Amino acid sequence: MYFLRFYLFLCSAPCVYLLKEDGDEDLCFFLEGVKPSLSVELSNKGFHREVVTTVELGSETPGDVRALLVYTWPRGVYVDPYQLAFLSDLRGWQMLFNTTIDLEEPAHRTSAFLTYVYPSHNGPTPGPLTVTIPIHGRYHKPAFDGKSFTPVHIELPELLLWTKKCTPIQRLEPHTLLDAPCNASNTSICSWIKIQLSHKNSTLSLHLPVGDGPTVTLVCTGTLLVTVICCAVLCHSILKHQIT
Amino acid sequence: MERLLSVLTEKRVLFSVSFVVRLALVLYGDYQDRNMVVKYTDIDYHVFTDAARFITEGQSPYNRSTYRYTPLLAWLLTPNIYLSVVFGKLLFIVCDVLSGLLIYKLLCLRGVSCQIARYVSSLWLLNPLPMGVSSRGNAESILSALVLGTLLCMEVRRLAWAAVLYGLSVHMKIYPVTYALPIALSLRSPHTKTTTEHWSWRTAFGFIGSFLNSKLILFASVAGGVFFTLTALFYYMYGWVFLHETYLYHLTRRDIRHNFSPYFYMLYLTADSRWSQALGLAAFLPQLILLVVSSWTFHRDLAFTCFLHTAIFVSFNKVCTSQYFLWYLSLLPLVIPHLTLSVKQGVMLLLLWFAGQALWLAPAYFLEFEGHNTFFLIWLAGLFFLVINSFILVQIIAHYKSRKSLERQKAE
Repeated sequence: MYFLRFYLFLCSAPCVYLLKEDGDEDLCFFLEGVKPSLSVELSNKGFHREVVTTVELGSETPGDVRALLVYTWPRGVYVDPYQLAFLSDLRGWQMLFNTTIDLEEPAHRTSAFLTYVYPSHNGPTPGPLTVTIPIHGRYHKPAFDGKSFTPVHIELPELLLWTKKCTPIQRLEPHTLLDAPCNASNTSICSWIKIQLSHKNSTLSLHLPVGDGPTVTLVCTGTLLVTVICCAVLCHSILKHQIT
Repeated sequence: MERLLSVLTEKRVLFSVSFVVRLALVLYGDYQDRNMVVKYTDIDYHVFTDAARFITEGQSPYNRSTYRYTPLLAWLLTPNIYLSVVFGKLLFIVCDVLSGLLIYKLLCLRGVSCQIARYVSSLWLLNPLPMGVSSRGNAESILSALVLGTLLCMEVRRLAWAAVLYGLSVHMKIYPVTYALPIALSLRSPHTKTTTEHWSWRTAFGFIGSFLNSKLILFASVAGGVFFTLTALFYYMYGWVFLHETYLYHLTRRDIRHNFSPYFYMLYLTADSRWSQALGLAAFLPQLILLVVSSWTFHRDLAFTCFLHTAIFVSFNKVCTSQYFLWYLSLLPLVIPHLTLSVKQGVMLLLLWFAGQALWLAPAYFLEFEGHNTFFLIWLAGLFFLVINSFILVQIIAHYKSRKSLERQKAE
């Protein structure tokens, strides 16, 4: 009995292996040919910026490949989900947040957060994908070291790919597998392939103005002095011209 | 020119034109939103609409981040979801024109000739600032209509209605609560001078007793009843988050981001220090002192007191944005006919007020949109703006002739 089972297993294993071998060549072969490139730029100045990400997947990429960009944002900036919802029709991509965003808190009272960006693919062969994300700087603690600006470093996003036909289990190096939501509605989890990219720079930097800590005594004294004087002058005027 | 002015300010023409212009702005705003990158509609309008959408789905409007208003507003705007998204704007422009009508009626009741009342009302009805604010979707016009309605009802001695409108206005925004003191002082029994000038227990009891009359008790109970009924209802429906977002947030608000307030930079630099609480209290004291002093001296002229109250409250507040200016600008037309300032002096004061704002807006623009460190300049501009506002208020107080003093002058 056991021998029979074992014999059947031995017979079927090579068949399965052979099937997979043939399938693998079609299914995940594209990974060896695909040489995606990712470039990120920061535009505008001040507290309201735009992060422009351009992804080029390469001409050999199959048409049904879907991309996912995973951004890890530092606590010094935020993305406004309401602004995005308002503009989503025009932008052609969807974003999923891993947490609720407080739009008003200063940087030291918040924490880093993740966003998943799902660009919509147009046509059978995906061309370069461009995603422009508006970000806003948070207020930071005043500086006591004489510096007028504080740096905020933004890591480059991770590029994840997925295609229906490909369910790789092996031969992925240097890429790795990662679980992430399948789409922006976050109804299911898919197994994505995290693409290993080589970057010249691994972070973007922006500098935000901060308050000057050492002037706190001058500012407090000046503010209270002016407000008290204005209060006294107004009181005097009110009492002088009262309605009798 | 004069003929055009008199035709334009003829009553029917004035109100129709002001409504039609606001309607045209709403329609233009819709066009701009659809076709241009820079949107006409204010972000607050989207906040109101999103909150109304949550209500239509059976949820709390406070699921919408930054919705810090009464649920009543979101309920009022549910037709934005069921009928058309432009419903709220139509409601706001109707309230805006209604505010103009209430200004006109109040001016006529305060002894101003109807022609001058129309000219002065046109300062609100044909003013691009309230036109722009209400057509962009800000809800300030609802509150100005409620406050003006309260003053009108007080003027014609319909105390119950005044109390209902007052309770409703305090429910919608906290700042009208400062009017409680001058209203109470104006409703108390006339003070009979005692023979002795020294303070005694009798004068103290007499003073407290003057507040206990039927008119004041009626006003307090109706206004309090309206306010507490609405509060209890919405607390039952939405819980603690309603109290926090509608009231407590505004009372304890420490927005350290740049704004017109003279205290902005001080509060930003001391936000996490142990002096934060004490400084917050120190910032509150000038406001409190001025509100009490102005109530005590001017309470006989309620409209003037409310204008002064609001202007003082906004100028000395810990947070001040341009939306707050409308709170006292809607009451300014009631004061203007009683000012002995010349037109030239009035225009100079107005230009000075705009100059103060421009001096603040310039470094603020460079901070926010160009990334320069202009915090120190913004601080100085904020203090300068307070000085300008105080100067303007002193000029208004010095040149104000109430109706009684005008009548007394005529008699003499």
